[in-house]
Amino acid sequence: MEFAFTEADAAFRSDLVAYLEPELAHWTRSEFGLGSAVFTDFSREFVRTLAAKGWLTPHWPVEYGGGGQGAWQHFVLGEEMWMRGEPRGPQYMNVNWVGPAIIKYGTEEQKRTLLPPITRGEVFWCQGFSEPEAGTDLAALRTRAVRDGDGYVLNGQKIWTSYANEADYCFLLARTGTVADGRDGISVFLLPLDTPGVEVRRIEGFVGAHSFNEVFLTDARVPAESRLGEENKGWEIVRRTLAYERVGAPRYARAARVLDGLAEWCRNAGLLADPGIQEQFGNARVLCEAARVLVYRVIDERAKGKEPSPMAYQARAAMVLAERAVGDLALDVMGSEALVEHSPGDAQFRNSLGAGIAAGSYETQLNLISRLILELPKG
Amino acid sequence: MDFEPSDTQRALLDALDALLRRHAGPARSRELAVRGEYDHALDAKLRAGGFFELFADADAGPLEAALAVERIAAELGAVSAVPHLLVLPALGLPSPEGPVVLAVRDDASPVRYGAAARRALLVGPDRCAAAELVPDDATPVPSAYGYPLARVSPAGTTDLDPGTAAAAANWWRVGVSAEAVGMMRKALDLTVRYAKDRTVFRRPIGSFQALQHRLAELSVHVEGARWLTYEAADHGAPAEASAVAAAHTMAAVRRLTRETHQIMGAVGLTREHDLHLWTLRLQQLAAEAGGLRGHRRAVTASRWGAAA
Repeated sequence: MEFAFTEADAAFRSDLVAYLEPELAHWTRSEFGLGSAVFTDFSREFVRTLAAKGWLTPHWPVEYGGGGQGAWQHFVLGEEMWMRGEPRGPQYMNVNWVGPAIIKYGTEEQKRTLLPPITRGEVFWCQGFSEPEAGTDLAALRTRAVRDGDGYVLNGQKIWTSYANEADYCFLLARTGTVADGRDGISVFLLPLDTPGVEVRRIEGFVGAHSFNEVFLTDARVPAESRLGEENKGWEIVRRTLAYERVGAPRYARAARVLDGLAEWCRNAGLLADPGIQEQFGNARVLCEAARVLVYRVIDERAKGKEPSPMAYQARAAMVLAERAVGDLALDVMGSEALVEHSPGDAQFRNSLGAGIAAGSYETQLNLISRLILELPKG
Repeated sequence: MDFEPSDTQRALLDALDALLRRHAGPARSRELAVRGEYDHALDAKLRAGGFFELFADADAGPLEAALAVERIAAELGAVSAVPHLLVLPALGLPSPEGPVVLAVRDDASPVRYGAAARRALLVGPDRCAAAELVPDDATPVPSAYGYPLARVSPAGTTDLDPGTAAAAANWWRVGVSAEAVGMMRKALDLTVRYAKDRTVFRRPIGSFQALQHRLAELSVHVEGARWLTYEAADHGAPAEASAVAAAHTMAAVRRLTRETHQIMGAVGLTREHDLHLWTLRLQQLAAEAGGLRGHRRAVTASRWGAAA
C-alpha cells in the first residue's frame, strides 16, 4: 500500500499539463454549449491537434495508433481533461471505450475503417443505449434488429442520446433475440447516423442545451458487417468495455476546479473570512477528495488487470455527492449571483442536477453496493 | 499507487491482530471500563512488540503506524495509540510508558486519560508545549463515553520548537481519523450483520431498500474516510490532506452513529450489546483536534489561505 504516483506517471501528467495550459488558455467551457455548434467546433479542432501531438490515444496499443501507455496514464489524461471542462467533447467516449471495444471485438475490416478516424480525432460517436422504456433497466430495451438477407433492419427509438445531433456514428444496442431473452438477446451495432431511416430530434434541456436527443429508427437497413461481435452477445461487450466508465468521467476533478473558482469569487466578495462559509468550503473540498481517492482505488484495480469489482459503485456514488456539494455551496454562498447565466455557480448547479442520473442513477449505485459489497438480502 | 497491502504490511498487521486478539477486544474493554482504566498491560505488549517504533522504522513508516492505530482502536485497545505511534515520533520525542494526553492548548475541555497521564502535549496554533502532569493538574469528569475523561490544566509547560505545532496538529488529525475509521468499520460491520439477521414482517430488515440505501451510503463515507486517512499518512500528514481526512471521517462519525443506532433499534442502546463500545467512544474522537468544524476550516485555510 502506497499512494504516490510513479515518476513516469507524474512526468506524463506534467508534460500533459504543460501542453494543455497554453493550448486552453483562452478557452473556458460553456456549460450550455454542450453539443452545440460552438462547443463542438472548438472541440473538433482541439482534438485534431491533440491527435497530432499524440495526446489523444496514448493509452491505446501501438498497433492501433496508440502510445502503449498504461491505465494510470489513461486516467491522468481523463482527469486533466475533465478538470478543464472536457475539451475533447464527445470524443472522450471514442478514446475511452468505443475504440477499445472495436479493438477487442471488431473484425479486421471494422478496425481498418473505424479506428483511424478516431485516432486522428475526426469522428464523433454517440451512445445509443437508453430508450423511453429502458434506462436504469437497460436490459428491457426493445429496439429491434431483424435479420434480412445479408443485413439487418432496425426499428425502434433511443432517447437521451447526447451528441446524436452532431455525431457520425452511434454505438447502438438493439434486440436480435426476443424481449424474453433479456440480456441474452442484445447485439451491438456500429451505426452510421446518415443511414436512411435514422432521424434525430433534439430535446430542449437546461443542463447542457443540446445534450438530449431522441433517435428514431424506422426500417433503417444496415449490413451485417456493422454488427460488433457475435449476435446476441452485446450485453457482455458493453459490460466489459464500459466496466470502468462509471469512473471514466472524473467529475470530482472539475467540481474541485469549480470550487477553487468559487473560493476566489468569495475572497473577492470578502466572504471567505466568514467561519460558516469556511466550513462549507471545507466540506465541499473534502467530498471532492473522497471521490478522488475512491476513484483512484478503482484505477489501481484496472492497472493491475483485475476483474472490475463493485468498488466502482462506491466511487461513483462519492462523485455524485461531491458534485452536489459544490453545486449547493455555489447557490448558498453566491446567492442570486449564482443564477446569472454563465456564472460558475449557475454552471455547477445545473450540471450537478445530472450527476446522479447520467451513467447509471445514484440509486442504482446504492442498490449494487447493498447487494454486491454489503451482501444484503434481496427485497 | 498501490491500494493493496504489501506482504510486509500484511505480516505486520497479522502480528498485531494476533496480539490484539489476546490482549484487547470487547471483553477486555468491558473489564477495564468497569474500572475506567488505561490498559498498561496492552501498552507494554505493544511496546515490547515494537509497534510504538513503526513510525521511524526503516521497514515500516507513518502509514504502517497509522494502520496499527486503526487496528488498535478497532479492537478497543485502551491505550494512547495516537501519541505513542504517531504524534510523539513525528516530533522526535520519546514515548513514555503509560497514557499521554493530547490537548488543544488553552482549552480546558475534557481529554482522554487526563487523570492518569503524567505527560501531556498541548497543541496550539503556533506553538506546541509539553507538560509533566501531577495529580493536582487534573479534574476527572463523570462521563459515559467509554474513556476516562478529565480536564487538565498543567502548572508547568515547556514550549517546543515553533515548527512542531503544525506537525503535531496534522498527525493528531491523521491519528484520530485512523482510530475513528477502525471503530466505524467495526460498527458498520456489526450493523450490516444485524440487518441480515433481524427479521420483521417475515423478512430481514436488510432487504428493505430504505435501509439498504442508508447502509450503502455509510459504506461510501467510511471507505472514503479510510482511504483519505491512509493517503494522508503515507504522504507524511500534509496540512490539507490531514484536515481533509479528519473532516471526512468526523462527518462520517456523525452519520454512522445516527444510522447504526437507528437501524439496530432498542437493543443497540443497551450495555449488553457491543455497538455502544464503538459508537460512544467515537463521540470523544469527533471532539478532538478541533472537531469537525475545526477540521473543515483547516481545509479551507490550507487550500485557499483563508485565516481559520
